Amino acid sequence: MEVSHSVKERTIAENSLVILLQGLHGHVTTVDLRDESAATGRLTNVDAFMNMRLADVAFTDRQGTVTQLDELFVTGRNVRYVHIPDEVDIRATIERQLQAIHRVRYFGGRDKGRKEFPRAKHK
Amino acid sequence: GGAMSFLKRFPPPAEGVRHQQPDTEAVLAGRSLGAGTLYIAESRLSWLENSGVGFSLDYPTISLHAVSRDLSAYPWEHLYVMVNAKFEEEETKEAPVAEGEEDEDSDDDTEPIAEFRFVPSDKSALEAMFSAMCECQALHPDPDDEDSDNDYEGEEYDVEARELAQGDIPSFYTYEEGLLHLTAEGQATLERLEGMLAQSVSSQYNMAGVRTEDSIREFEDGMEVDIAPVVAGQFEDAEVDH
Repeated sequence: MEVSHSVKERTIAENSLVILLQGLHGHVTTVDLRDESAATGRLTNVDAFMNMRLADVAFTDRQGTVTQLDELFVTGRNVRYVHIPDEVDIRATIERQLQAIHRVRYFGGRDKGRKEFPRAKHK
Repeated sequence: GGAMSFLKRFPPPAEGVRHQQPDTEAVLAGRSLGAGTLYIAESRLSWLENSGVGFSLDYPTISLHAVSRDLSAYPWEHLYVMVNAKFEEEETKEAPVAEGEEDEDSDDDTEPIAEFRFVPSDKSALEAMFSAMCECQALHPDPDDEDSDNDYEGEEYDVEARELAQGDIPSFYTYEEGLLHLTAEGQATLERLEGMLAQSVSSQYNMAGVRTEDSIREFEDGMEVDIAPVVAGQFEDAEVDH
């Protein structure tokens, strides 16, 4: 579960449920789109704007016709709903993603080296 | 067939072209527009027929794109692009309208859709075309995003900005990447700098000879202090009034 290299994107992810979607990398997921079509495939990337990339996709168009797509990219704006797979523990996934983000952020070590927040703030 | 009036003559994009694919057929709603070159540029997606006319699509209007290799759905492997817009070419379809179709079209009032297919003669290029489009799409986040809380002001959102301002790292790597990029010298420098920052600031102020009651209080309260890397004897030359 890679963490974005962008400071802004990490902040957005950390403060929204996009962080849950990012924890679903590798899972087969169904995404309902705004225009009533749907895509079921393996999630390979979700960015902070909810743009999603899926592989090995069964795409059902508005008329109900199913076609296979090797790879699909859908813009966040067009995502209406993401079906979280049953096997996913939502809380554990979110916590794991938060830990990954914090590992990146505090890579000097929390209490040695630079201080990001003066502890004095809490007095 | 009707005139494809949305086709215009324009020069190929010169800047920010992430991928260019010659000998690519463009198909709109099942109708071929001819052979040409697809330009996947950061500002927009453009296709120019070999004769020099073509069209451009703005990324915010593109809802999705995909690589299709399912020959039972369409006889050639291609890049599929779905656009939230109507193109005049579609009018020819509406001429003889059966009732069922008419109902469907009226539902489409709020959701115009145009389906493009870009069929390169070189099938192996589809991966690169797809990836280039993903990269360019990511450069155009949705400006009308009502759902997300775009108010990212507030102290907690400045954490990383402050962290970067404090640190001496010129470009930001993720943890693992960053360590990989450090030479032995870089590692030693990192340790030295972290050690310096870890020293109490009051001792740094002593070295600079500007310690006052106010400056101590300022440091304890907030993050306003600019911690400059202090070298012993840095201010020896300065004229300081004690």
